[in-house]
Amino acid sequence: MTTKKSIWEKVLWTWKPATEREAGDSVVRNILLHWFPAKVSRDSLSYSYSFWLGTVSMVLFLLLTLTGMILMFLYVPSVERAYQSIKDLEYVVSFGSFLRAVHRIAAHLMVAVVFLHMVRVFVTAAYRNGTAAGQNRPLNWIVGVVLLLATFLLSFTGYLLPWDQLAYWAITVGTNIASAAPLIGDKIRFLLLGGNQIEQNTLIRFYVLHCFFLPALVLFLFSWHMWRVRKDGGLASVDRLSLKQKSEKTAPVKAKTYSLLGLARGRSVQVETALVDYDRHTVPSSPNLTRRLLVVTVVTLLIVSILAVLVPTPLEAPANPKVTPNPAKAPWYFLWLQELVTDTTIHIGSVTINGALVGGILIPGLLVLAALSWPYFDRTPLNVVGVWFARARTRQNLVFLAVVVLILVLTIVGTFLRGPYWKFYWFWEAWPPVPKNF
Amino acid sequence: MDWKKRDTLWIYVFGAGLLALTAFLYWDQFTPEWKEYQSEFHDLVAKKFGEQRAATIPSGIQQVWVKEINRTDRCTTCHEGIEWKGFESAPNPYRTHPKEILEKHPVSKYGCTICHGGQGYATTAAGAHAVDAENWEQPLLGPELAKAYLVSDRHALLESNCNVCHRNDRETKGADYLNYAKQLVRDKGCRACHTINNRGGVIGPNLTYEGDQNSEQYDYARMPGRPSVFGWHLAHFKDPKSMSSETVMPNFGLGSKEAQSLAMLVMSWKKTDLPIDYIPGAKTADVPTPEEKAKEEQMLHGEGAFFVRKTCFICHDVSVLGVESATKIGPDLSIAYADVQSRFGRTLDDFLHNPTGTMAVVLSTQIHLTDEERNEAIRTLTAAYQKKQALEAKKPGAKK
Repeated sequence: MTTKKSIWEKVLWTWKPATEREAGDSVVRNILLHWFPAKVSRDSLSYSYSFWLGTVSMVLFLLLTLTGMILMFLYVPSVERAYQSIKDLEYVVSFGSFLRAVHRIAAHLMVAVVFLHMVRVFVTAAYRNGTAAGQNRPLNWIVGVVLLLATFLLSFTGYLLPWDQLAYWAITVGTNIASAAPLIGDKIRFLLLGGNQIEQNTLIRFYVLHCFFLPALVLFLFSWHMWRVRKDGGLASVDRLSLKQKSEKTAPVKAKTYSLLGLARGRSVQVETALVDYDRHTVPSSPNLTRRLLVVTVVTLLIVSILAVLVPTPLEAPANPKVTPNPAKAPWYFLWLQELVTDTTIHIGSVTINGALVGGILIPGLLVLAALSWPYFDRTPLNVVGVWFARARTRQNLVFLAVVVLILVLTIVGTFLRGPYWKFYWFWEAWPPVPKNF
Repeated sequence: MDWKKRDTLWIYVFGAGLLALTAFLYWDQFTPEWKEYQSEFHDLVAKKFGEQRAATIPSGIQQVWVKEINRTDRCTTCHEGIEWKGFESAPNPYRTHPKEILEKHPVSKYGCTICHGGQGYATTAAGAHAVDAENWEQPLLGPELAKAYLVSDRHALLESNCNVCHRNDRETKGADYLNYAKQLVRDKGCRACHTINNRGGVIGPNLTYEGDQNSEQYDYARMPGRPSVFGWHLAHFKDPKSMSSETVMPNFGLGSKEAQSLAMLVMSWKKTDLPIDYIPGAKTADVPTPEEKAKEEQMLHGEGAFFVRKTCFICHDVSVLGVESATKIGPDLSIAYADVQSRFGRTLDDFLHNPTGTMAVVLSTQIHLTDEERNEAIRTLTAAYQKKQALEAKKPGAKK
């Protein structure tokens, strides 16, 4: 017996499948759903396991792409016009100041959320392979670290575009730190700036990087990241579940392990994933995963929008190479570096330790290197995978969290506690007033 | 509640939040501050001149864009009455702008902020006036700041901006504080120690572009109250040592008005990239050399004075009367009496009354002759021709 479907049901059935079978079909039939598995474990849908931070990053990236594309129609990347076009956005473009605020807030949040996502993956040992075949989670961790660096660069290149004092001097500080790299430092700075000072060449470089190359890189890495998540059998929580299931000594899971009879090496994709009892632990991706995706998207949009309305978007005086604001600060996510640079600049008699080299290049360089190689040194037992703060990993979690906390503390000091001449001011101490013309 | 239903509920709850926020954004977008001012001005005009005239007032954001001086001023969005007659005593932002100043400085050529200061881009009162604004360095130089600095004339501060263009004037009409300051600079002998406009001593700093110093470049350590460049200058003029203990600048015992005037003056000494026609007295044409001037002066008092006065000499010699043209574009007028006849087949009298060709253009646009003057020209040229003939006859070897 066939029931007659309305036009809406014909168009939207993949999003609202009526039967288990339709739910399975939907991920095959709908391009937007094709990267999801047909069924997904309830553990990986949990809010409290992953906090959906990766998804939030992606929503923020899409929001940034969308608002960024509109901003591209309104912004002129020239030193004569850039500042003016931001003023126009603020005062005369319909919804212009909201658009700019959303872009800014989403960018700042993306830096924070991608970082938190990394922290979550670390403390749940989700960069570790489980039991399923064909996993390469360490590689995906590396892709993730590069995504974090790309996010920093995206934000950093966007920072210059308003061409106000804040932008100009933040980029001055940032690129000066880069120039402390041994041997190639000055060359890197020259390459970034397209010259020896921040001028039109720099602006167009940063603009093209910001609007095309870096988003394209992030999009590519993101696709790879997601593809690997599927290849690795989903979130690490699935491995935890699978391990737990094995220890329960239940009846064998209905799983087929047929090979493709020599047509392809190894086993088929279906059985490469970690094995969990489908009937007990999984639900169809459509509409369960998609519904939760929508919850996360809507919440993210709401938070960004509220912050965009409440938090004022600064636009300082036009960029002026002759006048250095006091204090001149890098973007906030690099302020821990600027603070490190200050703290590692040490004068002992006539000897000066170059803080820019130690704090600006060596320490962050080593941190990135340590992050990239960490999965290959983690030798804790398999039962830590997908477990928050597993006992066997206490020591490495503490080291990692100590670094995270240090970065956060330095960031807070650099952002809130450093005033004119980089002098230390407590939260309750007022900075000296900024002098004015009149 | 089952987790699926809870997720659905959350979508509705947060979705409703997004919807409410969107509604707020639309409300915010369509009720800007300036709309109220525009509607009030509309009512004012309607009351005074009738609904028909009120209907002619433009609505929406107004802006004056002056490309030459890179100004985008949206002040007229709220200050719609500045060019209307009849609102001379209305409260701001509806008041008519004093007419005499606008006649010489039309809004279309100058905008507003070049004189008044403030932020032309802004479409909110606070943003546009930018008094005490964190991120805009040129505040509106209006009554609010005048009051803060105890300047008795509440519009005086903006004279500082007048002088950016008028710095070479000895006296500028209407800029009393500035004129007073310039007088003080002469009387007190500031140039004994300071170079100003490339002239003066070198004991003190060169003040030619003192107005370009940024506010961060002064030392406010000894200054009580809110640090500002204007405040620093006021304190420094009244007692130089109070601001910088090392200085050798004498205390001139200046009063408040003197210090205010001088502070406005020094802050106006800025480099400017304004087009030359914005600078009064700036030379936009070639200037004649002293020799050329002397020659002209001499010609002006000779027999051919008429042709110098009426600028004919720019193109024509009248050699026999001692008038010499620098360009010699046209023929020598000494023989015009006969020359016109041979060139045009008409008498000089007839030609000057109904000129053709180049002379038709010149005499209708550049040189206007009254009947009296035309007759004088004919008379003089006839005499010149006779003089020329007589001279030719006297020459050795002339035909007898």
